[in-house]
Amino acid sequence: MQGLLIFSLLLGAVLGKEDFVGHQVLRISVADEAQVQKVTELEDLEHLQLDFWRGPAQPGSPIDVRVPFPSLQAVKVFLEAHGIEYTIMIEDVQSLLDEEEEQMFAFQARAASTDTFNYATYHTLDEIYGFMDMLVAEHPQLVSKLQIGKTYEGRPIYVLKFSTGGNNRPAIWIDTGIHSREWVTQASGIWFAKKITQDYGQNPAFTAILDKMDIFLEIVTNPDGFAFTHSKNRLWRKTRSITAGSSCVGVDPNRNWDAGFGKAGASSNPCSETYHGKFANSETEVKSIVDFVKSHGNIKAFISIHSYSQLLLYPYGYTTDPAQDQAELDELAKSAVTALASLYGTKFKYGSIIKAIYRASGGTIDWTYNQGIKYSYTFELRDTGRYGFLLPASQIVPTAQETWLALQTIMDHTLKHPY
Amino acid sequence: MQPLPQALPAPGPGGPRPAAPLLALLLLLALRGSAAAPAGSEGPQGSAAAPEGPQDSAWQRDSELPHGLLQRAARAALHFFNFRAGSPSALRGLAAVQQGRAWINSKKECQVDLEFTTEHYNPEEGEERLGKCSAQVFFKNEKPRPTINVTCTRFMEKSKRQQEDYLLYKHMKQLKDPLDVISIPDSHGHIDPSLRPIWDLAFLGSSYVMWEKTTQFLHYYMAQLSSVKQWKTDEDAIDFDYTVLLHEFSTQEIIPCRIHLVWHPSKPLKVKYHCQGPQAPEEASGIEEGSAAAPTTGLTNY
Repeated sequence: MQGLLIFSLLLGAVLGKEDFVGHQVLRISVADEAQVQKVTELEDLEHLQLDFWRGPAQPGSPIDVRVPFPSLQAVKVFLEAHGIEYTIMIEDVQSLLDEEEEQMFAFQARAASTDTFNYATYHTLDEIYGFMDMLVAEHPQLVSKLQIGKTYEGRPIYVLKFSTGGNNRPAIWIDTGIHSREWVTQASGIWFAKKITQDYGQNPAFTAILDKMDIFLEIVTNPDGFAFTHSKNRLWRKTRSITAGSSCVGVDPNRNWDAGFGKAGASSNPCSETYHGKFANSETEVKSIVDFVKSHGNIKAFISIHSYSQLLLYPYGYTTDPAQDQAELDELAKSAVTALASLYGTKFKYGSIIKAIYRASGGTIDWTYNQGIKYSYTFELRDTGRYGFLLPASQIVPTAQETWLALQTIMDHTLKHPY
Repeated sequence: MQPLPQALPAPGPGGPRPAAPLLALLLLLALRGSAAAPAGSEGPQGSAAAPEGPQDSAWQRDSELPHGLLQRAARAALHFFNFRAGSPSALRGLAAVQQGRAWINSKKECQVDLEFTTEHYNPEEGEERLGKCSAQVFFKNEKPRPTINVTCTRFMEKSKRQQEDYLLYKHMKQLKDPLDVISIPDSHGHIDPSLRPIWDLAFLGSSYVMWEKTTQFLHYYMAQLSSVKQWKTDEDAIDFDYTVLLHEFSTQEIIPCRIHLVWHPSKPLKVKYHCQGPQAPEEASGIEEGSAAAPTTGLTNY
């Protein structure tokens, strides 16, 4: 609360060119109703220019008031004369503002390049979109930005394409942030993007991959949800589409795909976190990817990234029937989690969705697998519940680093096993 | 008395012995102090022979364990353990399930016997010590409040634990009024070190709630301490009234709970709570989003 008030003061200071040098914030303790009255009288004296942050209410409730320098003497004398106790909460409002201004702007300062970008913190949608543009500008030969659609609320949906040439090469798809509250995933996506530009030409195994295949990376797969996690509700999961006939908002984008759509493993209740939507692909965020995948026609690996649980999953979620390629998918998953664990010892379990996590219908990789994309995987990144969705920012880079090893394993296998 | 591998004080319910869960509860109350049993404790749980589970023929060995059942049982046992221990400095988290068996009867009640390792919830620098627990968890058919019998090896000397608790207690008493604190951790997963004790105490209270709400299909994590309604330290005990957001994993729902606890080191924890039921759909855009909640019956476990 105090932060918000300070911020608005700051804004006022910046915009209205006000200055708060020497202003103090007093905390007044009123002992009885009579004292409350006295302070209320103060409120009425306009020439004092008092700014009550917490107004007079009842005895026992502290009253906080910003007092401009010229009025300080008068106010203190008044309070003391009436035996009203007070303490000085803020000695000098301006110096506090100066300090906060420094901090705030330092925190929000736009990175000038992807080399100065802070990968170890969480970012806003604008910052991520800004990052994408910077990356493209810095590596125009390697990276381009595609818009594959628009969200329900009209935001552009972007995919980064990493390519060293060719024409519609076999490709790998990676998406992060389909569930908006899973912040470590978008943050990892940013890191992957940078990593790709660093490793190409430096890391032989990776260079071999990108010399023959393209990579598509959708960092913010649910932009409306993501914006909402910043503005209103950090734990928002779904899209932000309005459902006719309900006052609940949003569809679970990982139950909206056309694979076992509407079967057990999703909810038909619009207020539920796993609401599947009125029909498959009702969500533009999902439809955009479906259209892209179909028209591309040459995607060979599809990896959708979530958190949390530390799992590597392959189809199916909507049925207990094993996937046709179960044995190979299982074997590859095992190699991938072994690679992942090699860095920091982070243990991942692996298996089919329905066995390893829960029954879930209308899921992304069930659909992509049924489309013929054999190497379809879902990751659930750190942690296992200690912090859950609110994973400390200090874990972003280690998470991204270890996950990258697993991704490389999958990409490498895809390269070496064309189909 | 010769310890019998299968003479489990824990419930062996099913038709002929409906009083067993009650007995188990009584035993649990009596065994309150046993939470810190010394390592290598003997007795039914500690014996080398694998426990054979309930003797009642109404029970079938569940060979196809629904995935995650052992994890859910372990977490429920730990929530219960943490609550009973009442010690915010000695909270335990699940490290790994080592082995487990489950039995199910015609009433779809489920008993799980398991062994698992634990780690210190707030590990110190480089601390790697693992504790070990064995537990019997009895799930009633889709009803919450599983009956739990859990024994864990001690990984902190009792006197040290009491000391740490008392330090925490003193620290809490000195904390400036944290009423305007919202959201621990913040959106970036950060917890201010000075507010850590509040988080730990909140987690302790939430453990009681999460234990009670766990079923064989539903299990919970504490996602966030969303507000502090009251923090009174002027009396002997810490009187703490707060709201948390619990994350139920199989439905992915976020459940707000209002919790009121009273804590004093080395006294049993008192907890009252109320969690929000199925949410009314949001009316207007200004309202804090919470998702609607309780799973309706008829949904398969997912």
